[in-house]
Amino acid sequence: MKKLFLKTTLYIVLVLISLEGIVRVFHLAKDNPARYIDKHKVEKWVPNQEGYSVTGNRRQNFSKFYINNSGYNSYREFTPSKEKTEIALVGDSFIEGFHQHYYNSIGKKIENRLEGVEVYEYGYAGYDLADQLHLIWAYKDQFDLIDHVVLGFKFENDLTRDEYHVVKDRMQLESPLYKNLRRIKLLVYAQNIGILDPVRNVISRILMLGKKSNNTKKVATQKEIEEKQLKYLENFKSLIDIYGFDKARFVFLLDSNKTPGVFLDYLDHSGLKYIDTYHELSKSKTPTTLIYDRHWNNHGRNIIASLIVENYKLKD
Amino acid sequence: MVFNSIEFFIFLFIVFVLYWTLFKTHVKVQNVFLVIVSYIFYGWWDWRFLSLILLSTTVDYFTGIMIDSNTKPSRRKLWLWVSVFFNVGLLGFFKYFNFFIDSWLDMVSLLGYNIKSTWTLKIILPVGISFYTFQTMSYSFDIYYNKLKPTKDYLSFAAFVSFFPQLVAGPIERASNLLSQIINRRVFSYDQVVGGLKLILWGLFKKIVIADALAPIVDDIFANYSSYPASTLVLGVTLFSFQVYGDFSGYSDIAIGTAKLFGIELRSNFKFPNFSRNVAEYWQRWHVSLSTWFRHYVYIPLGGSRVSKLKSVRNIIIIFLVSGFWHGANWTFIFWGAFHAMAYIPVFLMGRNTMYKHNVVGEHRLFPSLIEIGQLILTFSIITFSRIFFRSESITDAFAFIKIICSNFSYEVYHHPMGYRMIDYYILIALFVLYEYRIRKDERSPFKFKSKIIRFIVYTIVVLGMLLFYDSHIDRSFIYFQF
Repeated sequence: MKKLFLKTTLYIVLVLISLEGIVRVFHLAKDNPARYIDKHKVEKWVPNQEGYSVTGNRRQNFSKFYINNSGYNSYREFTPSKEKTEIALVGDSFIEGFHQHYYNSIGKKIENRLEGVEVYEYGYAGYDLADQLHLIWAYKDQFDLIDHVVLGFKFENDLTRDEYHVVKDRMQLESPLYKNLRRIKLLVYAQNIGILDPVRNVISRILMLGKKSNNTKKVATQKEIEEKQLKYLENFKSLIDIYGFDKARFVFLLDSNKTPGVFLDYLDHSGLKYIDTYHELSKSKTPTTLIYDRHWNNHGRNIIASLIVENYKLKD
Repeated sequence: MVFNSIEFFIFLFIVFVLYWTLFKTHVKVQNVFLVIVSYIFYGWWDWRFLSLILLSTTVDYFTGIMIDSNTKPSRRKLWLWVSVFFNVGLLGFFKYFNFFIDSWLDMVSLLGYNIKSTWTLKIILPVGISFYTFQTMSYSFDIYYNKLKPTKDYLSFAAFVSFFPQLVAGPIERASNLLSQIINRRVFSYDQVVGGLKLILWGLFKKIVIADALAPIVDDIFANYSSYPASTLVLGVTLFSFQVYGDFSGYSDIAIGTAKLFGIELRSNFKFPNFSRNVAEYWQRWHVSLSTWFRHYVYIPLGGSRVSKLKSVRNIIIIFLVSGFWHGANWTFIFWGAFHAMAYIPVFLMGRNTMYKHNVVGEHRLFPSLIEIGQLILTFSIITFSRIFFRSESITDAFAFIKIICSNFSYEVYHHPMGYRMIDYYILIALFVLYEYRIRKDERSPFKFKSKIIRFIVYTIVVLGMLLFYDSHIDRSFIYFQF
């Protein structure tokens, strides 16, 4: 028995070391840039990092990212001025665009369509409307110089809070434990492809033993849905009150099919503009998203870029 | 608790350690422990099914004793029929009841009578019922044919029926092999356990990398066959051949490997059927435990091949139809069985049904001869064609599938439904076939390399394959669990 356990353990360790080497050599796992909270309490990436974003097993999607001086994934530095024309894209991972080469981003596609315009992409995975408006408010001097601001918006995710505060859960990913774990590329790969999910589920089930399970998914009633929508609408009003909103320059980028009518009506009545992505994306005959996640693929990004350009031209 | 789940491996580790530390002292202690853990394993699906297995154990334990204790042939036969009726009745009720009702109603409606079905029941098929009922029946048959003495030890018999590694999908063991090991104390053997671990690793590879990776492609092609060109349908059924082989032989390898961890040797269930040179050889290599069961308990009692050619042909047709029906209550399986009978009979009539029994393709050579390659391709094509019936949802679908292939052959590049590169799968299959050819002489030693370094590299590649082809979004259940 002793010999069995010793030899099996030795083999397992050696195989894992070999696999770690293979994962590194073939770059199967994604690189995780470091994040931090800046002096304005804005969460962003540590400036001047680069690496590769990898999605799916067998490196199905592989792209380089570059974090600029401002802490966002972009090929250009953000230097707004009165003399130039700039567009800012503010949003979550869809704007951040780790799943594309940073020279092939939505911003770059817009620049290719609008001569002389610089596009600044303030994208960061997990940013909700509170993050976005707080960023604009915190960097007011910069944003006041930007001519047009597009805010990526998802009703379901972006209005869960009525005021900005640092998301501590996300910052825990920067703890020494997580940082060290991320250095093990095999672990990062295993986590990305979901092979660790069953292990995690078993652990959580063991931890839940004896406790009352809340696993049964409750279907929300119409009343509950309406109440939630009203609550989100109140949060929206609160965020606008606290951080301000320039109706002349700011425009939302949203999917009307995933946004409740009550909210769209409010935007219309309040004179708040939005670009609707639904019709153009849904009528596309070729897929607009990646294989493994719902982020826009190159074709999807082209459509979004065209919509933003169209909207910008209308403004003029 | 399926073999490819994390729960199973936690369970296996705990059971293995306890078995060889606290419960190794005496055979009775070992068997009590085996019965308890096997019942836990089986009850994990649905604890209510435990009553069935307990009932089946008890009935066959007593019928075995009664067959043996009676000297009068008619009495012995009577007790044998008790066992057969009970087991077939159990199987018939849970597996075939609705099929017979529906078929009867269909027949009546053909005669112009429309009867509203109120008899079909909402029955859950107890997992593994087709396997353990056949195993317990073989015990009664062996006693009846004086090949075995019944055990008086109920506990050992319960361990034989419920032995968890082979409980839910075989291999269907015969008491002469498994029970004889269970009634003796097992002693820890390092080599045996290592052999078991290697088989488990190889079985997992076949399941995760071959079967599970191909499943979305096969599912897509069979679900949407009417919108695909013939070339895609051929691809779909060819990949299904590899999928079902990887799935079931992978399961069997894990079962045999797990049994080895407990000091028990189960019989081989798959002997590289893809390297069969004719359909008869295929049936000596595919699901061996079931085909030998039918040979011993159906074909030979009917006279086997010792009767006239005509009767032998009749016997062949019977066992293939029964074998098809064993797989499921659907006409597709009966057609599948009939097709195999039609493919087997010419081989039998030419007297070539046993010519490859004791050798493998490319025996004493590195590569197969051109004739052998031709034989392999032909046999594989016949078997693959039969799988159209096996995989289709209904007999109408199966014939429509065949019609598209035969009547309007056209070619189009197929794209993976989830967008993966198809070339990865073609390379994977090619490497898998080459590797299996390399190890074709011994199905129980998938990593037989003299050099430790080469063995280590192969282990690493096998685990890497699992990491590269693992997909968290797909259904990971075993195909043969539905039978």
